[in-house]
Amino acid sequence: MVDLPSPSRAAAPVVRDSAFRVRMRRVRDLTAQILSNPATVIGSVIILAMFAMAIFAPWLTAPNTPDPYQMPRDWAATRMPPGTPGYLLGTTNEGGDVLYGVIWGARMSLQLSLVVVGSVLVIGCIIGSLAGFIGGKLDEILMRIVDVFLSIPELIFALAIAAVLGPSFGNIMFALAMVMWVKYARIMRARVIQIKNSEYIDAARIIGDSKLNIYLRDILPNSFTPVMVQATLDMGNVVLIAATLSFIGLGEAGIAEWGVLVSEGQAGIASGRWWASTFPGLMIFLWGLAFNLVGDGLRDALDPRTESSR
Amino acid sequence: MNAMNDVSSKVDRRADDVVLAVRNVKKHYPIREGVFQSVVGHVKAVDGVSFDIRRGETVGLVGESGCGKSTLGRCVSGLSDPTGGGVYFGLSKAEVARLDTLLADGSAAAQAELAQMERRHRIDRLEGAAQRHFRRNCQMVFQDSFASLNPRQLVIDIVGRPLRVYREASGDALTERVVSLLEQVGLGRHHLYRFPHQFSGGQRQRISIARALALDPDLIVLDEPTSALDVSVQAQILNLLYELQRDRGLAYLFVTHDLSVVHHMADRLVTMYLGRVAESGDTNTVFETPQHPYTRALIAAKPDLNDDEGRTMQALEGRVPDPARPPQGCRFHTRCAVATPMCGWEVDDVVRWLESSKGVFDALEGVDRTNAFDAALRFSSEAAARNLASTLRSDAIPAAMQQALEDVTVSGGAVRVRFREVPEVELTERGPGHHAACLINPSHSSSGAN
Ligand SMILES: Nc1ncnc2c1ncn2[C@@H]1O[C@H](COP(=O)(O)OP(=O)(O)O)[C@@H](O)[C@H]1O
Ligand code: SF4
Ligand SMILES: [Mg+2]
Repeated sequence: MVDLPSPSRAAAPVVRDSAFRVRMRRVRDLTAQILSNPATVIGSVIILAMFAMAIFAPWLTAPNTPDPYQMPRDWAATRMPPGTPGYLLGTTNEGGDVLYGVIWGARMSLQLSLVVVGSVLVIGCIIGSLAGFIGGKLDEILMRIVDVFLSIPELIFALAIAAVLGPSFGNIMFALAMVMWVKYARIMRARVIQIKNSEYIDAARIIGDSKLNIYLRDILPNSFTPVMVQATLDMGNVVLIAATLSFIGLGEAGIAEWGVLVSEGQAGIASGRWWASTFPGLMIFLWGLAFNLVGDGLRDALDPRTESSR
Repeated sequence: MNAMNDVSSKVDRRADDVVLAVRNVKKHYPIREGVFQSVVGHVKAVDGVSFDIRRGETVGLVGESGCGKSTLGRCVSGLSDPTGGGVYFGLSKAEVARLDTLLADGSAAAQAELAQMERRHRIDRLEGAAQRHFRRNCQMVFQDSFASLNPRQLVIDIVGRPLRVYREASGDALTERVVSLLEQVGLGRHHLYRFPHQFSGGQRQRISIARALALDPDLIVLDEPTSALDVSVQAQILNLLYELQRDRGLAYLFVTHDLSVVHHMADRLVTMYLGRVAESGDTNTVFETPQHPYTRALIAAKPDLNDDEGRTMQALEGRVPDPARPPQGCRFHTRCAVATPMCGWEVDDVVRWLESSKGVFDALEGVDRTNAFDAALRFSSEAAARNLASTLRSDAIPAAMQQALEDVTVSGGAVRVRFREVPEVELTERGPGHHAACLINPSHSSSGAN
């Protein structure tokens, strides 16, 4: 770009830009950039399919009554192999439709990941921001608390909480949130401190803008990408961890949750009934894979080193 | 525009008003170490600096990097609070004279009057409207145009932000004000809705300047505003700054490591070395008759500045010493080509010298200091101690340093060295408004300076 004074007012082109248009263009460019990576596209397609399955579950299979999240039981059709009419993916030992479990499991996974990741994102950002932006004693206290949480291995901690509270889907969500918020607080704090020390914060202070405005206009918008990338990755990870907890027996027996299905179906594998575990297991794998592909793609696309050059 | 504040009406201000008075400003950063983060010393980034900035003038603050210029600039603009001394804003010439009297006077009555004055004029004591008044009137432009602009804001939001903060304009009026500011810095309406990364370095610096102009300040602190730019772009930005000043009666504190940048811009120069003022005076006077060897070395470092008279001037060698342990006497004595025995030679000079001669330094086991001038250096062998003692008496070390040595005694494996104790070198007057902190004063004696 050449550093020349602008043309005179008369020669200036008619301004058709507006802040909104420019920002939309930026979102479009960013989307194009993200979608230029084939792995990210594959991940996005899988995610969209999973979301569609979760959202349209009641229309794809008749909801079980009274609780649609409980596996249906058809004692007349236990241990059916895949391909049986009416039971495309076969049935479990108790006559549960594996396809029903796959579809409603997607709905449970979506709920699980949205609730857990959403809440830890909010809690982590608030605590990380307070610690990083206000600093001082408050930072010290909050970080000591975070250290305590971090000193216990994630899975063991989640397991302990879930074990104490008893096996239920809600308790697994709670345990995951308790374990994960510290990671977000740490990431957010580090980023906020980094941004707080950048020169455009000095520039805002020189103007005389308020602390709140500096936080809202300068710090928050520039601190968001690392936690967003982490949140995307964790949308996949929470389902993996929840499945692990369910698998080792902390899941709620009988619900249409992938981890529980894998756990309940594994006994049959030795006798050749592979389907009851394999299809839910495949779903867990695909869910985790998809969010990791997209998360990695996001990380590359939002990398500040490459972002500034666009 | 400043109707909101009584202290501020610009009309009755005289041209020789002092926009800002810096008095004995110090900024010492604590150095913390160990598990308990205890303070083990201080980086004396700025260590007692005084000068004035008058209405509409440019003061060039010059020195090598690491001399404390940016730290001082940040204290002046109120971005960081000094750890000693004060920065005073909005005093008339008479009030500054009164301030100096009060600062020198220790009596209770003077202290009371000073406290009152500080509440209204000392920038780290201001509150409410006076605080806002200062904030509006002192702006800053940074070296790194990229880092000083929020990458997620559009130009209209960046340049319009000061106007929003002080509720000067909104909506279409704001847009028009921003366009007018952009035009004043050589940009235009079509740049409104762009992000900083879509501009060149020079254009970004123009955006920063437009932002600094938005509130029509009295003073802009420019911290190396052109140092990151190509030479041709540098000239454009300097011209722009010059024209803006002429049109608006702005005062600048122009911080730079490059004398040639402020040669034509600055009315007055302050050269700074290791947190202290080495020399200050009118730009022409300083360039024509530099009084401090450091200033002379800075001029010598720019061939384009001293090609005329065929002066032979010593360029700078070595590096700026650690500001946590500034040299005694004259801080420049470790690098001064014309240093005298009175310039502050000390034990650290011997240690520094040992560090550069590896064989002997390895034999050094410890230094027991009585004070900065007097210490016993313990060696692992008596031979090494004798070796040092004889070197200190030879011409391997500077003659001035040798003459400053009052005692060198070897006892066992230790060498006791004692230097002449001297006080810190103070600024002395060399002409009207021209000061330098050097023991060599050509107007008093003919020795020394070249
Ligand atoms: N925040 C800080 N903490 C500790 N030391 C600092 C800090 N800022 C600057 N310094 C030190 O103060 C000295 C002066 O720095 P600076 O003002 O940036 O010099 P200049 O702008 O002249 O290059 C340097 O030695 C630097 O390392
Ligand atoms: S006082 Fe003057 S002569 Fe002595 S070291 Fe300092 S600058 Fe050099
Ligand atoms: Mg600097």
